[in-house]
Amino acid sequence: MLDRLTPSGVAVPAFLITWSLVVILPLLVIVLFSFLQVKSYRVVYVPTLGTWESVIDSGRWIVAVRTLRIAITMTLIELLLAFPFALWLAKGCKSKPAKAIIITLLTIPFFLDTSSRIIVWRSILGTNGIVNTVLTSLGIVDEPISWLLYSEFAVHFGMLGSYFPTMVFPIFMIMSLIDDDYLQASSDLGASPGQTLLYVILPMSLPGVVAGVVFTLVPLMAAFVEPQMLGGGFVNLLGNSVNSALQELKYPTAAALSTIVVALLGVCLAALILITRKRFDMSTMFQAIRR
Amino acid sequence: MTQGKFDPRLSRRNFVESALSLSALTAAAATLPAALPGMSQQAWAAGAPVKGYGVTTAQLKDWSIMTKSNSVTMDYTPTNADIGVFMRDVMSNDLGDTHDFFIFDGGTEDVLGPEGYYAPIVEDHPELTLWARTPDTWKRSDLIRADDTQWGVPVIGNGDAFGYFPEVIGANPNGQDEIPWTTFFEGEQVKGRVAIDRSWLQSMSETANFLKHHGRAEIEDPADLTQEEARAVADYLVERKQAGHFRTIFTAFEEQVQLLSNKEIDMINCWEPATRDANLALGPGTVIYAFTVEGYYKWGHGAYVATAAMDRDNVDNIYKVLNYFLGGEYRAYQAKERGYAGPNMDLGVEYATEHGWPQEDIDLLKYTGEKVERKFEKPFWGKTTPSNADVMEEEWQRFLNA
Repeated sequence: MLDRLTPSGVAVPAFLITWSLVVILPLLVIVLFSFLQVKSYRVVYVPTLGTWESVIDSGRWIVAVRTLRIAITMTLIELLLAFPFALWLAKGCKSKPAKAIIITLLTIPFFLDTSSRIIVWRSILGTNGIVNTVLTSLGIVDEPISWLLYSEFAVHFGMLGSYFPTMVFPIFMIMSLIDDDYLQASSDLGASPGQTLLYVILPMSLPGVVAGVVFTLVPLMAAFVEPQMLGGGFVNLLGNSVNSALQELKYPTAAALSTIVVALLGVCLAALILITRKRFDMSTMFQAIRR
Repeated sequence: MTQGKFDPRLSRRNFVESALSLSALTAAAATLPAALPGMSQQAWAAGAPVKGYGVTTAQLKDWSIMTKSNSVTMDYTPTNADIGVFMRDVMSNDLGDTHDFFIFDGGTEDVLGPEGYYAPIVEDHPELTLWARTPDTWKRSDLIRADDTQWGVPVIGNGDAFGYFPEVIGANPNGQDEIPWTTFFEGEQVKGRVAIDRSWLQSMSETANFLKHHGRAEIEDPADLTQEEARAVADYLVERKQAGHFRTIFTAFEEQVQLLSNKEIDMINCWEPATRDANLALGPGTVIYAFTVEGYYKWGHGAYVATAAMDRDNVDNIYKVLNYFLGGEYRAYQAKERGYAGPNMDLGVEYATEHGWPQEDIDLLKYTGEKVERKFEKPFWGKTTPSNADVMEEEWQRFLNA
């Protein structure tokens, strides 16, 4: 039955050509655009390295490093939080209504505008906010803690809620597909819960982990709401830098920064594939859970 | 447009839009007499609304006040003071096709006037009745003129400085003290609790004026910095940033109000209306908008007519609106609601007196005029399209990324 679904000799090339036109071609245009310059709000169509030189001189390259660091840190934090939560939700939570409610709650970030959701934290984390008011009134601290807001801590904190669902859902879904008989068999053969987690659940849920990492890391590289609203201008990320360049109509600069983002993502994904290739490969990622 | 010459702006998109508009107009013309029996073409045009696009702070909080006064309905789209966004909307998004006039910081006409996006002001238009009595200091300002052409009508103006809490720096609460920018940039009383605007146009220029005033940097024009000057200003700002002087680098007007209202900061180089809005929550006189020692980022907003609008049916209404900006009612409400002055402040006072406004409000109008005159005695005039914009923005990024 499955063999009959093999695509025809025309469909694959047609798809690849369309894909190239829709995705690859704009990327190439972006790269080419980065070799132009803007003068007096107008793009000058003369090839130059000026834009790339200014990206280096203005310290925008530092932003790329900072963005990568924060994106990877946040992805790891989300993974550490999401994995046990997804495991509990898929295998530990037996109440169907509770599971339905939790899944619904996890979709809230997708419904609410990011700015509206994030701006609330300002009144909670500010020097006169709820947290500092409670801490000072209880005598825990003598004066308000200023780094709760407008700091890297605040940006990381604000990102937690935004990117948790994108990590949880793929892992939860893959874990839900793992047959309980495998877990029972592992236990019957004398494996401890830790060994079952390490040698059965983890390998079988790896495709979900990889999907979660991709779905979390990629948007994190372009995040700009949290850094802008909670970073107070001190945590400038690539998304902010691109936005700032676009506001000044500096399209070549935005193109150069976007090229950096794509290149960094390419490196990250290549590293991810290299690290996980011993366990599985993309083409057979779901075979492990087939009975 | 010169006849017989190909106008590149008459693109295929324009052609399709024109054809569709013509079809729609034909259909409308066919149905109008039936729908509105007895309505003449002139009367129909007289009721045509005017569509404006421009900075938030130039709008009346309630445009129906204007409609009662001159029978023109306003459809105003507010935007922030981001020069790039404005230039993009006017140049790339053909905003003149859908909007009749723009209000923005004076200076955009240097680029948009000669390139044909703005129509020169018809100074003897019959609806522009207040033009002749408008002082030259406002109407002939370089901020709304370029190449000896009058591209704009003055709307509002002010000198921007910073808001502060007087008790924090030990200043007189009457707000009449001249507070030095030194306090803003280096004051120990406010260290770590200063908010600076993310707009490089404003913040870099203000810093440059401060450094120039105290002889700490060789700067010709604080509003248009050369590569070396911009680097010196950015170096100073980076040093202050790394010294922990700034609490935040803010972006929006609402943020200015929130930062003041929450008392998250002690000083902020905000817009004057932000201090007014904050005082609504904190109580009158809690936040003061500074008179300064070194000077102000002086600006003026101009109203510019879109070239395409001059071919439409509502030109008379557009000029009624331009005239309204020169009149007493607009002047009075702008001064009362936002603290902004403009041309013909005497008409504002006259309007308020005739309409029975409380003496307190009338005094405020008089004070607003005097306040702006006092500020305008000091340097410097801001520029929205400085010739060195590219290097200034790049150096500003260095400050942001430090």
